[in-house]
Amino acid sequence: MPIEIPKDKWPGSVKTITLGANSDGGTRTSVVTVGGEKALPFMHFEAETPYRPAVAIEIKDRKPDDWSTPLSEAWGDAMNDPAKWARAAEAAGADLILLTLSMTAVDGSPNTAENAVAAVKAVLGAVGLPLIVFGPGNAELDNALLVPVAEATKGERLVLGICEDKNYRTIVATAMANGHLVSARTAMDVNLAKQLNILISDMGLPLDRVLMDPTTGALGYGIEYGFSVMERLRMAALQGDAMTQLPMIVTIGAETWKTKEAKVGEGVPAAWGEWRERGINWETMTAITLLESGADIVVLRHPESVKRVKAAIADLMVAA
Amino acid sequence: MAQHLVTFHLDDPALGAHAPLRSVHVPTGMLLTEAARMAGVEIAQPCGGQGRCGRCAVHLTQGEVRRRSTLRLSAEDVAAGYALACQSVVEGDVSVTVPPQEKIERRLTTDRVVAEVEVPGGYDARTLQTIQRVSVSLTPPSLDDQTDDWSRLVTALRQQLDVEEVQVSLPLLRRIGQVLRETEWDVTAIVESNPQAPTARLQLLDLRPSEPPLYGLAIDIGTTTVSCWLVDLISGKVVAQVAEYNGQIARGEDVISRIIYASKNGNSAEMQALVIGTINSLIAAAGEKAKVDLQNVFKATIAGNSTMMHLLLDIPAASIRLAPFVTAINHVPPLKAFDLGLKINPEAVIDCVPGVASYVGADITAGVLSSGLGDDERLTLFMDVGTNGEIVLGNRDWLVTCACSAGPAFEGAGVINGMRATRGAIEEVWINGETLEPNYRVIGNAKPRGICGSGLIALLSEMFLTGLLDKGGNLNSSLMIVEEDDLHFAPPEKSAGSGVSLHGQTRRIRQGEHGLEYVVAWASETWHGKDIAITHVDVDNLLRAKAAIYAGYTVLAERVGVPLESVERFLIGGSFGKYINVEKAVQIGLLPDLPWEQFQFLGNTSVKGAYRVLLNHNERERITQIASRMTYIELSADNTFYEAFTSALFLPHTDLSKFPNVANALTKT
Repeated sequence: MPIEIPKDKWPGSVKTITLGANSDGGTRTSVVTVGGEKALPFMHFEAETPYRPAVAIEIKDRKPDDWSTPLSEAWGDAMNDPAKWARAAEAAGADLILLTLSMTAVDGSPNTAENAVAAVKAVLGAVGLPLIVFGPGNAELDNALLVPVAEATKGERLVLGICEDKNYRTIVATAMANGHLVSARTAMDVNLAKQLNILISDMGLPLDRVLMDPTTGALGYGIEYGFSVMERLRMAALQGDAMTQLPMIVTIGAETWKTKEAKVGEGVPAAWGEWRERGINWETMTAITLLESGADIVVLRHPESVKRVKAAIADLMVAA
Repeated sequence: MAQHLVTFHLDDPALGAHAPLRSVHVPTGMLLTEAARMAGVEIAQPCGGQGRCGRCAVHLTQGEVRRRSTLRLSAEDVAAGYALACQSVVEGDVSVTVPPQEKIERRLTTDRVVAEVEVPGGYDARTLQTIQRVSVSLTPPSLDDQTDDWSRLVTALRQQLDVEEVQVSLPLLRRIGQVLRETEWDVTAIVESNPQAPTARLQLLDLRPSEPPLYGLAIDIGTTTVSCWLVDLISGKVVAQVAEYNGQIARGEDVISRIIYASKNGNSAEMQALVIGTINSLIAAAGEKAKVDLQNVFKATIAGNSTMMHLLLDIPAASIRLAPFVTAINHVPPLKAFDLGLKINPEAVIDCVPGVASYVGADITAGVLSSGLGDDERLTLFMDVGTNGEIVLGNRDWLVTCACSAGPAFEGAGVINGMRATRGAIEEVWINGETLEPNYRVIGNAKPRGICGSGLIALLSEMFLTGLLDKGGNLNSSLMIVEEDDLHFAPPEKSAGSGVSLHGQTRRIRQGEHGLEYVVAWASETWHGKDIAITHVDVDNLLRAKAAIYAGYTVLAERVGVPLESVERFLIGGSFGKYINVEKAVQIGLLPDLPWEQFQFLGNTSVKGAYRVLLNHNERERITQIASRMTYIELSADNTFYEAFTSALFLPHTDLSKFPNVANALTKT
């Protein structure tokens, strides 16, 4: 007996957003387009998934002090030079680069605009991939660093972050003025995500230049809640709620590599298994889970995870 | 146990050098606040002694105390010798200077025009009133008839009235013989009959030589304000209306703080004494105003939220705030004035209006009764806005109710320059959209001292519509004028005494101690010579309060499957509600975007309900039915309330399509 698979027909769709530019001031050799979904993730029989989810690799403007050993082993010397690191990331298969600016210089003094601009320019010069630039996560310093970065890279269609509800104005204003995009982060809550998108769009930045970062937890650290929030955001988008129709970016590497399971190699039960493999598994599992909840860009830290996640995406993109 | 000498110096500018010293010996381990109470020194504890508000800070001039918490004090304060009295444990001799305490100013309702209360149509004291006067002539005793005085009186009453049983208290029984002989066996009995009782039963309240006038009291005990109406029970007329702040305020501004305070050892009797003190002073004021002999007050009907009723009766209230949130009692049996120490006729009947649940009390059943909600076929939403928002939805066929904790922000607490609606409170604000300059109205035409609830609502709405606030409640920092030092270019035009610039920026937005703030009144305009500003923290607190209320009634409507648009009447009670500007309350999303004519402000519906119960025994029966008909819905039982709450944490709401008129207003500005 033939079985008819029931299909959902959704009235709405996710906006299509292109990161990076190769004309009008843009110097990228490749651009990344995400979004455009008309159905829940990988439901190819309901609607085409026009763009595959992208994998970003996170690098920093200087060697971080607090990254887990398996990460520094994997990247080695490249971590001392953002340009080298970016090239290594490109070689590891990154679709795009996320550069997080440090809070301080190696000597402990606050990071400066000059440093930030130099690091961003170095990365843009080293690779042709689109670039996401995040500030160190302190409102005042973020604004002080990101505005000169945005001005120095006019037309590149960078993604600037992190916009939060208490600190979005300056970043949005400079993104508008210099032809960039923004990443909007909120605590795990559908309403909060929507509210920030409204605030940003009220300033006049078109929503097709906004990524939303609904925050998530790593496997074992609230991933169920994060999954549910992302799933509900995506369903709201498909149901036609314009303020949720944005591609989602999740910083999986940062979440995963701060968990004890990924970060700690000694003094843990033997049953936890080999440290390096465990950390990579943790990051990969978190990423694949969240891809299923609708993530459009997953940001990873370990090159081996990138390989595995990309393979999984390739499998998921094949219509059954 | 070791005793220590605690000396209090009162720093009262009015008394200057003559300020008295008060000393008291206390055992080790006593809190400074308790020592102060023993010494008769008033130290306000708005948070109920939890160390959260910092308002009980005192200055140690000699000796030291053990500080349990200095949460509300800066390191400099502590270094300078300041301590929170409610968190300071006496462990040695100590001298303390008590700063001037905020006087709890009274605003009797007579500050505003008191509307004459209409006597309910068809009021007939003989058929509806439970308090009656009965003239009886007894046959004097003789050697032939040695019946005892009491039986003689009961027989005479039985001959006149259809009763089986007459009850009397011992103190009154002691006086009967004397009164009967002084009046030569010709007396007026004041009796209470209970038409609902299965067997006709009378309660003898007093014996008088002649017919006295009969008075009663309708009382509402609010967390903030106690209201009292003195009523002529024969005509039904309200002869005096008085109101005063609840004396318990100094022991906590919200019900939770008060429960915590009262639950501490020995404090519950103090809480009872405080509210009874307030009621007695109101009764005295009402009696004086209407020239009424308080011995002729034979009945008092009392409504109030469940916590207030428990504290009035000194019944432990702790279970109200702890899961599963049950009261000790919802239906209080009849009491006598002497049980509570009310200064009216000691035999007077005290009738406590029944409540429904911990957070839906007698004040709400009284509100439902007086608003007529339970008899009307139209779908009506009734809401009593105070520190707690209580909401009732329904009509004559069904009633559901819920409560949500809005917090005291709209009553001025939790807002740095907030205050209660007394003299000096900014109660209305307008902001010019071009210059961003405010204009305001102050209660009593005084110099402003702070902003009250209606002023805060107006301020929020005006700031939102003029772009000073974004939809998230963030102050727009781009409107701030950056001082010259920080500028790389010439500052915009600046004129003394004004916050205005040519570029639509304003000096009124500035970086204050608590982050960004907007100055409503400059120091030169204010009563205390300090700027009155609203900070981003204040705005967050107000947003949470309005979101809780909005979420409360929307979730309640959702639970019973009723769209908010189908609500035909929106009734708002509570003295707070009286002065809200509907348009502005809708603009911030506190009230739903319904046609304005659907909103009706009823004022204090609790005291009105108590008044109806006082007059009419049928209304007493009805209010008991209302209390039992109301289905209480616990909002915290699942997460729909939280969802609704976060979506309402926005101006006016995350879903602007719910507020079409506000959306229109926004596109115009």
